[in-house]
Amino acid sequence: MADHHDIDEPKAKALLACMRAVGSVSDDAQVTYLEQLQGGWSRHSYIAEIKDGDEQLSCVVRARPQGSTLDTDLGQEFRVFELLVPESLPTPAVHGFVADEDTPFDGPFFVMDRLPGKAINVWRGRDRAELQADWDGDRGIAEDHVKYLAAIHQIDAGRAAEAATPRSFLETVDHWQGVYEENRIVRDPVIDESYRWVRAHEPDPVEPALVHGDYRIGNCLIEDGRISAILDWELSHVGDPRFDIGYMSLNYHGGKFTTPGSELLNAVADHEWFAERYSELTGRPLDPEVVRTFSAVGALMLVAIMTTGLRIYSEHRTTDIRLAWTRFVLPGIRQDLAGIMDW
Amino acid sequence: MFNALRTDQLLIGIGSVLRAAADRGAALEDYERSQLLSAYSVARLLAAENVAAPAMLTWIKGELGPVLGDQEAQMAEAGSSIAVGEQLSLLFEQMPADDPRRPEIHRILREMADREVAALAAIPE
Repeated sequence: MADHHDIDEPKAKALLACMRAVGSVSDDAQVTYLEQLQGGWSRHSYIAEIKDGDEQLSCVVRARPQGSTLDTDLGQEFRVFELLVPESLPTPAVHGFVADEDTPFDGPFFVMDRLPGKAINVWRGRDRAELQADWDGDRGIAEDHVKYLAAIHQIDAGRAAEAATPRSFLETVDHWQGVYEENRIVRDPVIDESYRWVRAHEPDPVEPALVHGDYRIGNCLIEDGRISAILDWELSHVGDPRFDIGYMSLNYHGGKFTTPGSELLNAVADHEWFAERYSELTGRPLDPEVVRTFSAVGALMLVAIMTTGLRIYSEHRTTDIRLAWTRFVLPGIRQDLAGIMDW
Repeated sequence: MFNALRTDQLLIGIGSVLRAAADRGAALEDYERSQLLSAYSVARLLAAENVAAPAMLTWIKGELGPVLGDQEAQMAEAGSSIAVGEQLSLLFEQMPADDPRRPEIHRILREMADREVAALAAIPE
């Protein structure tokens, strides 16, 4: 890590105050490094190194900036991380939440431990090759990916509902269609027809569970061939757990952009193997037709989020050009939707 | 085809990122470097899209015309892919669910999506 880095003092003070308020650091603690990470569409993340006496702490600050692509509650995300602490899942401990909009992080923020591991980007060929090698080899990442998803879905739904909002199938569809309609700049007949299709394919309900909402290998960290962290819980809710599987089954999440990605589910595991292993772990069989419906819902969620980003960018509420770049992701998602609907 | 943000808006965005990088007197942070790389990617994809756009518009209007019947003339007048999208969305809204034109239009939209993705992959040198 570069040591020439200038530390943003207001941000450093705000994060120490947050941690001191919950007793995570002493009054003598000092921030020795603070830098915004690349990535993060709806949240901004910063890594911070803190020296507290003889102790050296590595933390991450999660902030919801103004002009975020997701109008999700950062407080809920914080509460979900708190909920997960006693579970046998690799999730970070949290160190306080600041709900104020007016902070040096340009909005509310919370602090959490920085877990070891590296992020995977399935749209990068070498990262897909690494995942393929895991699948062809000892399958540590593949096994963790399915095992942790099964564990998330087996958390007591009543307890989960104290942290995350319950949402039925139709409420989910209504929500994302509302976001899409509110933010769209142009009309898209493929998306309009896709909403009609998912409404006509409402699956029979199952017992609700904690749904991660954005479960994919890109939201995990990998270390020594295993998943070392599951992050980005901002879309979590209590609902139909099959959403997570449909969403991660999208070709887009296998690394497809303008050229095809991996044939593996989420570039990690064979589709059938994953479904069978998941059913084995949870005792819940998976109907491929229902998974297909949730793939369409997941694609529509992505479209709604990207459409929001395009609206925010077009109105000059952000200069983050990655939001404009998502315009070029939408044709591939449209293509995925056409395939899911058997057009 | 049915894409928000015009070419001029994207070019202004690319320029703004370049200007911000030029104005920074110190080494770029990760976030700023990712902005530059995204601007580079937008420029390349926009170039690919612009090369393919006129032929795509002619193709889809030609495919839809015979399927639409009495609305063929209206579609022929559509001057942009955005206008085609508007017309199709309105048509789907008014169309009975079992209208035999519906699967035909779906087939054309599927091929349109395939062609558009292929066009974006063909970035001009």
